Amino acid sequence: MLRKKVCLVGYGSTEYSRKSDRPLLSYYAEAMQNAMAQTGLTKKEINGFSMVTQASPDYSPYVAEQLGLELDWVLNGDCGGAGAVCAIRRAADAIEAGYLDVAFIVAGNAFDKNVSHQRVLEYQRANYVDVYGYGGPNTLFALVQRRHMEEYGTTLEQIGKIAVSQRFNAGPNPQALLRTPMTIEDYLNSRLISDPIRLFDCVMPCSGGECVVVASEERAKQITDKPIYLVTDAEKIGFQASNMLPDKTVTGMSVVGEHLFSEMSRDNIDLLAIYDDYPIAVMMQLEDLGYCAKGQGGPFVDDHDLTFAGDFPVNTGGGEISVGQAGLAGGMLHVVEALRQLRGEAGERQVNAAQTALVTGIGWLSYARNLNTTAALILERRS
Amino acid sequence: MAGKSLPAVNEIDREFWEGAAKGELRLQRCRACGKMQFFPRIACTDCLSGDLEWVPVSGKGKVHTFSLCRVPRNRAFMDEVPIYVAEVELDEGVRMVTRIVGDDRDQVTLGAPVTVTFMETEDPDIKLPVFELA
Ligand SMILES: [Zn+2]
Repeated sequence: MLRKKVCLVGYGSTEYSRKSDRPLLSYYAEAMQNAMAQTGLTKKEINGFSMVTQASPDYSPYVAEQLGLELDWVLNGDCGGAGAVCAIRRAADAIEAGYLDVAFIVAGNAFDKNVSHQRVLEYQRANYVDVYGYGGPNTLFALVQRRHMEEYGTTLEQIGKIAVSQRFNAGPNPQALLRTPMTIEDYLNSRLISDPIRLFDCVMPCSGGECVVVASEERAKQITDKPIYLVTDAEKIGFQASNMLPDKTVTGMSVVGEHLFSEMSRDNIDLLAIYDDYPIAVMMQLEDLGYCAKGQGGPFVDDHDLTFAGDFPVNTGGGEISVGQAGLAGGMLHVVEALRQLRGEAGERQVNAAQTALVTGIGWLSYARNLNTTAALILERRS
Repeated sequence: MAGKSLPAVNEIDREFWEGAAKGELRLQRCRACGKMQFFPRIACTDCLSGDLEWVPVSGKGKVHTFSLCRVPRNRAFMDEVPIYVAEVELDEGVRMVTRIVGDDRDQVTLGAPVTVTFMETEDPDIKLPVFELA
């Protein structure tokens, strides 16, 4: 389905930090303040609010009350790393239905001592995975990556090129926590965490926040002279959920990609913001989105320059593996980077004539499978 | 310090853990459509029937994938690293997340045939199904 009248009209970010005792709400408030400053919107013009987080046990209406928001629409985004993209889709639905015209969507993470982060793990993870002494997502992605390497001959050099290119992209990004140049040797020599996943495959947890503002076209034109249109969007939750022998190297993004590109060409995309908790996740998504055949992600990466100046720009601000992953703000980071690029606000890392961007979100690994949640948006600047 | 993770046995999966404690690997099978499934659930993942039975299985299979975990999420496991976390595909057509054990575990490869065995835990009533190279 093509969206007609929904725009992303602004964004706000906070600084990222590895050590901070700021509460999560202060990151939300700062990201929202920055988005309000950019858009010129006042509190009373905000009639929709969604938060995307794992770090807070709060309910969204309670957080809205804390922030003094009176609303016509509220949502707690709950699709893990795909939560930011999914929350934007839900807001777009509600705007098209006429329930509201301006939604602020925040995401963030904080190491807030006053809040317990130890959520009760779902029964499946607790009874059937944790008991074996696994290493969290590092091990779950390792199980996937080994299959990919053995089935298709994918090399560490090919997977590492994604991490190295993204580190290059982070160089001019002041928000990124990891900006020192990295070579493929640095990547290969980084210590093994859960073989074949090594340190430089892993995102670094941090504090921080992001906000984007979604509005109806009518309001968008009043708010900004650079509205970015939501062109089309899709999600797949629970791909292969009932299959006891699924292909572990395929994700729900294969279905998402079919929806996205049924009405427009992949070649129209100028830059990709691909959810990158691990480089192997980026490679699988490129395959599943149809940029190359399944298993050909390695040769595809070999053949392209993934930097902001290259022929196939991916994660032009460094992505989560170089910026840091502020919890589920990791998913929002990609939306904000796409907005910066499409609005021509990316500074030294600006992609030349960027007009159309693809943003993905992925979350959670299902038992002995691959991603549980996958979602994507296509955004476009229209002049 | 908290100990090694143990399952919180519940009404859905009590039979699985009772079987494991006796050295028997059991899977859920749907009486309505015959589907075998793992992990244990409240209903059949194909037809949603709640009429499920527990059947003992061969405990034979092959390695689908594995990882040498050096940094366990629960640090109580640090004395065992590297832990050979694996997914084993059972002959009955389901995959299990498990561990490869045995002195020759460093010989593990994808597709290697394996056989179930049961590992003691800190709880005398709980044994974990793990696999050895056949
Ligand atoms: Zn059934």
